[in-house]
Parts: sequence; structure tokens; C-alpha cells
Amino acid sequence: MTTGAARTRIDFGTAVAKVYLALVLLFLYVPIFVMAALAFNRSPLYELPFQFDLIWFKSLATNDRLLSAGWNSVYIAVLNTVIATILGTMAALAFSRYTFRGRGLMQLLLLPPITIPWLVIGTAMLVFFYWTFPLVGLPFRGLHTILLGHVALSLPYVIIVVGARLADFPKSVEEAAATLGATPWQTFWRVSAPIIAPGVVAAGLFAFATSFDQFVISYFLAPPGVTTLPVAIYTSIRKGFTPEVNAISTIIIVISMSVMLITARFYKFGGER
Amino acid sequence: MSPRQRQIGAILGLTGPAYAWLALTIFLPLAAMLYCSVLNVSPLIPGPSHFTLQNYLAFFQKSFYLPLTWWSVLMGVWTTLFSFLVGYPAAYALAKRIKGRWREALFLLIVLPFWSNALVRIFSWTMVLRQGGLIDMAVHAVFPDAPAFSLLFTYPAVVVGLVHSYVPYMILTCYVSLQAIDDSLMEAAQSLGAANWTVFRRVVFPLSLPGVVSGSVLIFVPVIGSFMEPRILGGAKGATLGMNIEEQFTVTANWPLGAALSFTLLAIVLLIFAVLYPVLKRRGIWS
Amino acid sequence: MTEESKHRPLKGAGRSNRRQFLAGATALGVGATVLGAPRIARAAGDVKVLNWQGYGTDEAWAVDAFHKATGNTVTHDYYNSESEMITKLRTNPGGYDVVLTNCAWNGLARQADLIQPIDTSKVGNWGDLTPAFRDSPLLNDGGKTYGLSWVWGITAIAYNTDVFKPAPDTLAKLWDASLKKRVALRDDAIEAVSFGAIATGQDMNHPADLAKVKAKLMELKPNVALLWSSEDEWNKQFAAKAFDISVYWSGSALRSKTNFKLPVGYYVPQEGGIGWFDGLAIAKGSPNPDGAHAFINYMVDPSFYVEWETKVGAPASANPKAMAALPDTDPSKGLYGDEAAVKRLQFMAPLTDKEKQDYSDLWAEVKTAFAG
Repeated sequence: MTTGAARTRIDFGTAVAKVYLALVLLFLYVPIFVMAALAFNRSPLYELPFQFDLIWFKSLATNDRLLSAGWNSVYIAVLNTVIATILGTMAALAFSRYTFRGRGLMQLLLLPPITIPWLVIGTAMLVFFYWTFPLVGLPFRGLHTILLGHVALSLPYVIIVVGARLADFPKSVEEAAATLGATPWQTFWRVSAPIIAPGVVAAGLFAFATSFDQFVISYFLAPPGVTTLPVAIYTSIRKGFTPEVNAISTIIIVISMSVMLITARFYKFGGER
Repeated sequence: MSPRQRQIGAILGLTGPAYAWLALTIFLPLAAMLYCSVLNVSPLIPGPSHFTLQNYLAFFQKSFYLPLTWWSVLMGVWTTLFSFLVGYPAAYALAKRIKGRWREALFLLIVLPFWSNALVRIFSWTMVLRQGGLIDMAVHAVFPDAPAFSLLFTYPAVVVGLVHSYVPYMILTCYVSLQAIDDSLMEAAQSLGAANWTVFRRVVFPLSLPGVVSGSVLIFVPVIGSFMEPRILGGAKGATLGMNIEEQFTVTANWPLGAALSFTLLAIVLLIFAVLYPVLKRRGIWS
Repeated sequence: MTEESKHRPLKGAGRSNRRQFLAGATALGVGATVLGAPRIARAAGDVKVLNWQGYGTDEAWAVDAFHKATGNTVTHDYYNSESEMITKLRTNPGGYDVVLTNCAWNGLARQADLIQPIDTSKVGNWGDLTPAFRDSPLLNDGGKTYGLSWVWGITAIAYNTDVFKPAPDTLAKLWDASLKKRVALRDDAIEAVSFGAIATGQDMNHPADLAKVKAKLMELKPNVALLWSSEDEWNKQFAAKAFDISVYWSGSALRSKTNFKLPVGYYVPQEGGIGWFDGLAIAKGSPNPDGAHAFINYMVDPSFYVEWETKVGAPASANPKAMAALPDTDPSKGLYGDEAAVKRLQFMAPLTDKEKQDYSDLWAEVKTAFAG
């Protein structure tokens, strides 16, 4: 129940908010538009003036290397997101629910993976796996080690982001559910999960992004002949990557956007109270 | 099983998988790297090697490391600050002013640019910022006589590129925090006579701090070690510590030095956290 | 025996029948492959090559032609820096057949026991190669050859022909006061130090006075717009007119001109330029040494080189017959045939670890000063 003046204030606020959000989105998408536009430009060197041409999409259709690289990236990223989100959320729950000695240290240990340049971590992983994996009879390069690396790099992000959500979590709600007779499992699924859902979703999106654009780990741990999209792009730098890269990036963005918007249409995870 | 034992079981069960994973893939390899950093030659090279702290001392002895590190840290500070200034209002707008399906859709749209390949994205920024690029063309469309506009190869260009790459972290973590704040809390404060600004300053903002802090951590820490945006957008102005560390692995093959520099970087980050820790603890963010 | 198993008595049998069939078929298939293929001279195999991406060995038409001639297929793995090449060799014993090694790195690979001697009797074009490269101590040791000199090239000055009329011809031009923010350098410590040494009249590989080199490089600060690190970056920035003159590789400059139609001019400065050559090596533990030898022989064959240079653009071949086979209009002929220019070159030599570290530190200091 708000007075007329308050309602005007809120409406004005909403209008300003919408404009501001539009501006921020514009900022975020300007390079995306440029990237997509250049996918349709004839010049292989991003030269203007703009000449519309579909040649890059056509040559992408025959570029098996890029296509299989794109597919590998998606496949790994999806696996990575599922694993990292589950493991990371569990850890974040533990940090938020319980106090125990060593909790601070464990939280601090999340910093090295995001501080130390990925090249150093990648090299360390390569050498370490090279020494240890043959001891258990496994090859040290392959999709399994790439996945190992990706999940490891995603975990800190998941734990920190979900942790932020849990910090605002009203524990009283859980306690109330318990006093009403809910088992811990029920409490989790029907009370806690919906509340932390936005954090988990955000974390999952970051995990996907971390894996999808991860170059160094994939580069070091990929066996010859197998490659992911960022690796294919970066290794073609010496000669020059053609706008086929723009074409595939544009396709991926369009597909992701469609999937996301369809999901948002049918599944509410914004955590409405 | 006593409640305490059950609790320990729960803690181990919940954190075990994630940390076992991290131990195998990050902590152990990094421990090996730490060992490597106190050797005088890379352990992959056959032959004797001995313990030395020279690689760590090099940080202080060579004249360029301190300014380089300082700039990298400053870059982190600017990026985090601007990400906050740009991102927090966006998060607030999204959490408090947008309702319904739009909220989810926007939430997802904000993350989507993240999924594009970083190199292509940064090159796209050069097309926007350079002379003859998008902004230059737009300016000249309106003011045909204006001098050529080019932001490329300057320090601000690097910050713009970095903010663009990292602001989604801030927006999303703040959103996640803000969205948890019950509207009724705000209404209660208002009904007690508080002005909007006071409500924000004393109720909303403090409650959203976990989001702000997480976002800042996720931005500040990686930016310090970044080198791609600085190189491509900053040109000759884009020297960073991250770039120098890479060179120890790709040019000089001096892994011990590269490793030592990485751990020095980590130490600096930990130092900064140590300084901020009392502040955070008081706010109940970290414990 | 349950009701179901009575009705599907052959299920288990069927499965093992299928398995037996598959095993038999596979055996037949393998046998056919091994015994068959009557037209191919030797057993078909795979040649695994480790090289920069887009550097000749992975051209689709070349791989096809090689396959038709020898029956070997070719798969590639790539590296982004010479140091990585060494790491990949180390962590992949038996994983590669052919490796591209720069002249300054072949010795290192040999000392690290990562490459094996080449049996020159298996390389038909061996006798045709330019002796200066073929027998260079950088690729040979103890009477054995560890690298087949394949191509050579120049790192010198590339410039925008639309901007500089008439064309400049000195290294000192880069320091010209009129070129504020119009110069690009490669972000490579060794190259930077080499040019600094040449500009101060010193031996580019082991300059006696590093302080002078550093001071000279520092003087470039007002002129340097950007530091490029890949051909792709160079092309894109040049096309966008981010710089007008820079240090660049000869083969890449010709490629930019031929392929991308950019207004690129090239010259070896009067003070001198950098020369380098690449050698194809055979990795230790190569699983297909015969295929490896056949491949490197094909790489120095005029039939490969002429098509590579005219279609795509390449550095100079170490096989004078291949160079002679080029059409007279080819710009490569003009550039690499210019004896006076070639005489002005200093060739890259291996550096000690300390030298590499010192140069890297020097360059880091210069870059930090540039950014300040």
C-alpha cells in the first residue's frame, strides 16, 4: 500500500533502472555485435568498408577441425558445469552451515587457482600428470585430464559465488522447517534449494564460461588430433585466423541465447519469494 | 554416532569431493611447482640441481618487477572499482526493479558475452576503439569536423576491455545477494520514516556486501595476472607481470623463475587479503 | 532356465556370435590392409608432424600429394613457441616423427636427446641443398646431421608503401623523430636485443655492450605504438593502419602482400638484418622413420616448394633448384636473390641460458619503460 507520491517515485525508479540496464547491456554486447557483423564481412582482415558475404559460414561448414573443436568444447563444458556445480555447491554448503577449524584455510586455498596464471598451473598439471598417470597405467593426455583441469579451475568460482548467496541465507527458515518435522533431505530440496538456486545457476553459468573459453589447460593436455575451440583459434594465430572463427562464435552465441531464453520462459529459477 | 561425529561426517562428505579434486589437480602440481621455484634449473632438465632462493630475490633485484607489479595491482584496483560502479547499479536495478520473466532473461543475457572467445572479443573491441572504428565513426557522423578519436593503445582502453570482460562477475554476484534481501525489510524501514537513501545505505547495501566482496575477489585476483587485454588493447602501454611470467615459460624456459614469480604474485594477493581481513571479519563476511 | 531364456535361447549365443564375427571381420580387414594395397611401394603408415600451424607442412594439397606418392597419411600437432616445442617433445616420447626446429634450437633438442640423426641416404634431394645451410654446425654434430635445412628467411623491415615514398633503407629510420607512434616491434626479447645490437654496430648474437643496446631501445619509446606477437596480429593492425613501419619476417611480408593484398614493402637495412633458417628434424623414438625421411625429402623438393610459395607465400627454400624453379615474377626471387642484401645478414645462433635470461630481462625493462 503505497501513496501516490511513493508510487511515482517507484515508477520513476523503474524507468531509470530499465534505461540503465539497457545501457549496461549495450556495453556488454557492443563487441558481440561487432564480432557477429564481421562474420558477415568479406574481408579476412576485418577491413572496412563492410561488404556483406556469407563466405565464412560456407567455409566453416567444411572446416572439420573448427567444427569438431567447437563440439569438443561444448561437450567438455557441459560435463564440467555439471560436475563443478555439484561439487562446488556441496562445499559451499559445508562452509556456510558449519564452523570448524580449518575452514578459513580451506577458503583461502581457493585463491591460488584464480591467482596464479593459468600457464603456470597448466604447466604444473602437465608435468605432474606426466609423472604420475603412467604409474596407474592411464594416459596423461586426453579428454579425461582436460576435464580434470577444467573442473579444478571452475570449482573456486562455484564455491565463491554460491557462498555469496548462502551468506544471505536465512538459517531460521531451515530451522523452522526442521521443527515442523521435515527431514534434512526434504529441507534441502524443498526449502534450501529454491532459495540458493540463483547462486547455483550463476555459478553454473560461470563454470561453463570458464571451461568453454579455457585455452591453456586444453592446449597442454590435449592429445594430438583432438582440440577444443579456443586452442584451434589460438594456434592459428601464427598464420592468421579467418573470420570463420567469428562465424562459429556467432553461431554459438545465437544457439546459447535461444536455449537460454527458452529455458527462462519455462523454468523459473530467479528465486522469487 | 554422536552429533559432533555426524557433523564431521557431513563436513567431510560435502567438502571432500571438491577438495580431493582440487588437491589432485591443483594443489599437488602447485606444490611441485613450489619445489621447482627453489631450484636453480628446471627439474625436467636432466642433471644436478640445488636449492636456491635466487628466483625469489630476483623480484627485488631486477629493477622492473616492482613498477610492473604495481601497475598490475593498480589495473586490478581500477577494474574492480569500475566494475563495481557499473555493475552494482545494474544488479540493483535487476534485483529490485525488474519483475517476472524478464528478470531471468536479463540475468542470462548478462552472462552470455562471457561465452564468446576472449581473443575474438578483444579484437572486436579494437574495432570499436580504434581510429576509424565504431566510436570514431559515430562521433564523426554527428560532428564531422571533430578530430580523430582513438582510445586504442592507451591505459584506459585496457581498463575498458578488462571491465567488459569481468563486470558480469560483479553484476551476478551482487544480484544474487541483493535478490535475497526481503522487500519487506525495506518497506519496514521506510514505514519507520527512513528516506530512500538511508534505507539503501543502512539496510540494503550492508546486506549485499557478501555479493560485492565475492565479485571483487573474482575480478581483482585474476586481473592482476592477466595479459591478453593489456597486450592487445594497450599496445606498448600494456606491459604486465602476467606477461613476464609467461615469458619465463615460453622464451627463457626458466621455469623456476616463472614459478617463483607466480608464487610471489600469490603472496601479494594474500597480503592484500590479510590487510582487508579485519574489515571483512567485522562485517561478518569472512570468518 | 527361466521362461525368458527359453524363448531367447540364442541371445547369449547370438552375442558371442556377433563378437566372433566382428573379430573375424577385423582380422580379415587387417590382413587385407597389410597384404593388399598392391600399388603402394611401402607399407602405408602415419607421419606425425610437430610444427607451427600454417607453416607449410600442413597444407592440404601437400598432404594429399604426399599421400598419393607414398601412401603415408600426415597428422599434425602444433606449438606456439620454441620452448613449447621442447616441452612437447619431452612429454611425448615416441609421439612424433618429424619436428620443425629453428637453427638456434636444433642443438638444444639434440643435447636434450630429443631428436635422432637423419639418414641422409634416404633423402634424395640431399645433394642439392645449399652447403652453407645444409652443413651448418648448427644442424650437424660429430659428422651426423640432426636437421635437414628446409627454409631460410630474413627478419628485417616492412613498411607501408603508401606512406613511405621513396622507400627507406636504414634501420635508423625507425628512430626517426617524424614517426611518433607509427612503429611496431615484435614482442620478442631476442629479436629486440638483436636489432638493438645491429643498430649499435655490434654482434647481434653476443653483443659486447648490453647497456648500449638497452639505451638504444629505450630511445624508441615515443615512436612505438604497439608490440605485435603473431602474423595475424600484424596483418590486422597493419590493415587498420595502426602503424606504418615495423620489424617483420620476410616470408610473412610476402604473404601479406600476395595473399592479403596489403601495400607492404620490405628491405634489409644497410646496417644489417637477422637471418634464420629452419631445419626439419626426426624425433627420437619416431614410430615411422621411413615415412619421416620420405616426408622431409618431399618438403625440400621443388615440386612442393614452388606450389607453396606461389599459392600461399613462404620463406626461401634451402634448395637452390627449388628457388630457380620459381617463376621470374615471384617477389621471393627478387628478395632472396639479392646477394648484397643477403651479405648484410647476421644469422641467429644458439644462446646460453644466461644470455636468454639477460636478454629477456633487458627487454622486460624496456617494455616497462615503454608502458610508463
